Amino acid sequence: MDSLISTGLIGLSLGTQYALISIGFTLIFGIMGVVNFAHGGFYILGGYFAFTATTALGMPYVAAVVLATLATAVLGYVIEMIFVEKYVADHLATMLITLGIYQIMTTGIVLSYGAEPAEFRFPVAGSFRGPGFYVPYANLIVFAVCAAAIAGVYYLVFRTRYGIALRAMADDGPVARAQGIPPAKMFPMAFAIATGLAGLTGALVTPILALEPHGGESVLLKAFIVVILGGLGSITGAMVAAFGVGVIEAYSSVYLGGSKGALALFVLVVLILLVRPQGLFGTVARKA
Amino acid sequence: MSPHRHRDFKLDIWGVALVLPLLLVPLFTTSPLLNSLTYQAAIGVSAAMAVYVMLRMGLLSFTVPAFMAFGGYAAAMLAKSGVTTNLLALMAVSFIVPALVAIPLGTLVLRLKGVYFIFITFIFNEILQLILFETPTLTGGSDGISGVPPATLFGIDLGKPALLVVVTVVVCIVATLITLAVTQRWRAEFTSIEENETLAESLGVAVWKYRTIGFVASAGVSGLAGFSLVNMLSTAHPSSFASWSVNSYIAYAFVGGRGTMLGIAVGSLLLIVMTNVFSAYAHLSAGLYGILLLAVMMAAPSGLVGGVVQLVDKFRSRSRPAAAAPVQEKQA
Repeated sequence: MDSLISTGLIGLSLGTQYALISIGFTLIFGIMGVVNFAHGGFYILGGYFAFTATTALGMPYVAAVVLATLATAVLGYVIEMIFVEKYVADHLATMLITLGIYQIMTTGIVLSYGAEPAEFRFPVAGSFRGPGFYVPYANLIVFAVCAAAIAGVYYLVFRTRYGIALRAMADDGPVARAQGIPPAKMFPMAFAIATGLAGLTGALVTPILALEPHGGESVLLKAFIVVILGGLGSITGAMVAAFGVGVIEAYSSVYLGGSKGALALFVLVVLILLVRPQGLFGTVARKA
Repeated sequence: MSPHRHRDFKLDIWGVALVLPLLLVPLFTTSPLLNSLTYQAAIGVSAAMAVYVMLRMGLLSFTVPAFMAFGGYAAAMLAKSGVTTNLLALMAVSFIVPALVAIPLGTLVLRLKGVYFIFITFIFNEILQLILFETPTLTGGSDGISGVPPATLFGIDLGKPALLVVVTVVVCIVATLITLAVTQRWRAEFTSIEENETLAESLGVAVWKYRTIGFVASAGVSGLAGFSLVNMLSTAHPSSFASWSVNSYIAYAFVGGRGTMLGIAVGSLLLIVMTNVFSAYAHLSAGLYGILLLAVMMAAPSGLVGGVVQLVDKFRSRSRPAAAAPVQEKQA
């Protein structure tokens, strides 16, 4: 029973992390049609920025996380303006451009920090002990921060004029432009929000899991799984699917073992796609 | 039909021709560096050709490492079991097994649209890696299958270093010829799917059929590349088929030019040679590939060969306007 509740709580914590990463990923795709292969790179850069801020600059961890979020957001903004903006209409080009950027990022990290994992520890140790279960404080804190960030994103996207404009661009780009919504201003900001969210997640999670140059690859894979399940472009879908994936992964890792658990998850994705190719909340793409 | 069909066919033939001289390297030199470059190039070209087959339909498939693993492991198991080490049998198995796997997989993934297809093919690599780890009795798990006997042909042992390289190049030539046959036989159908799938369907092109043909052919060609790798190393190991290795094959295809087989061959040879020339900077190779991909996609989306072809076309059209004028006057 102990492990059942503990595992469930860890699954929820994983779910918030995946939700933060995947919301950003699906936001970029929904609004711009860009599949950002560098998304995992921004996650791991967030971790390294926070690591540098705490170790080299001696900043407190909270400030380091904020700095990492801002830094990855600014980097995302600049990258979108310079490399992605011009090629937004060509999906293959943007995929390969972001793939190239990811490779440059990981090589840059290896050159700057070395290939070995960095010693980056979460500042709060210990576990919260409840009736019949325990959860590390780190997971609880990450869960709380990620949940707050998700709430913030939801408010931005569904309650502000800017968010309405973003959703209009995602729904029907040409009509949104005809209504006066400028893609040249919306796209870089949307990209920055998404990469900032990835950086925030990286700064929070890498002290718990691992901070190493190729850590972004597994994150990208999770983002793929979550958005496939949730439906590309659907923020609600990404949220629901993220929690589903997090909980399934936690339970299958504990009760089936590492590789079998991951395999079970992948098989589940494939089965769901057999029945519903557009994902749980995605719309059937029109061919024309 | 593309007005450049004849020219593109010639460029495809040149792509095959570019690979042929690699046969001479192991026969005329014992230099380890040159032989290493040759077998790396042969395997790289084979894998990049598998990417090319799908690109002919405008599809970017990440399944190449997974199908390489199917082909490589199938050949390794057959050779190690003692049933046969005949080169032709091993090549056939390494082509057929991935092709057979691709048929049911294709029915699942090929009906997915655009990016869903790409995501699933990406995930498929990960699924295969996990399957390899979870089936140690069959595949050796994380240790792989080592001590794979070299191929033989009519009693001749092809295990000497020079002959191993020759076999790798021969397999590459076969893979290239299969790619040529498939992409030429169904060139019109593949091109129509690439240009406008909806229009192709409305004109009666059975899109699912040709996508499946391309997917199966790509799988088979990948399998041949996998067999080359396993035969060269005498080992089938999961790390040889890591999912991110597909980035290299994609880079070869796009840097060289994805429109013709010559581009694929040029891109593969160039990047493999560059990686070896700058071997002191091997840890930077991923970043350099990234920079090259960026540069190509932003400045020369048709790649090196495509870019040169465009320049030649531009030059020719500039030197033709005077010749075209009298024809127009006559028509008026």
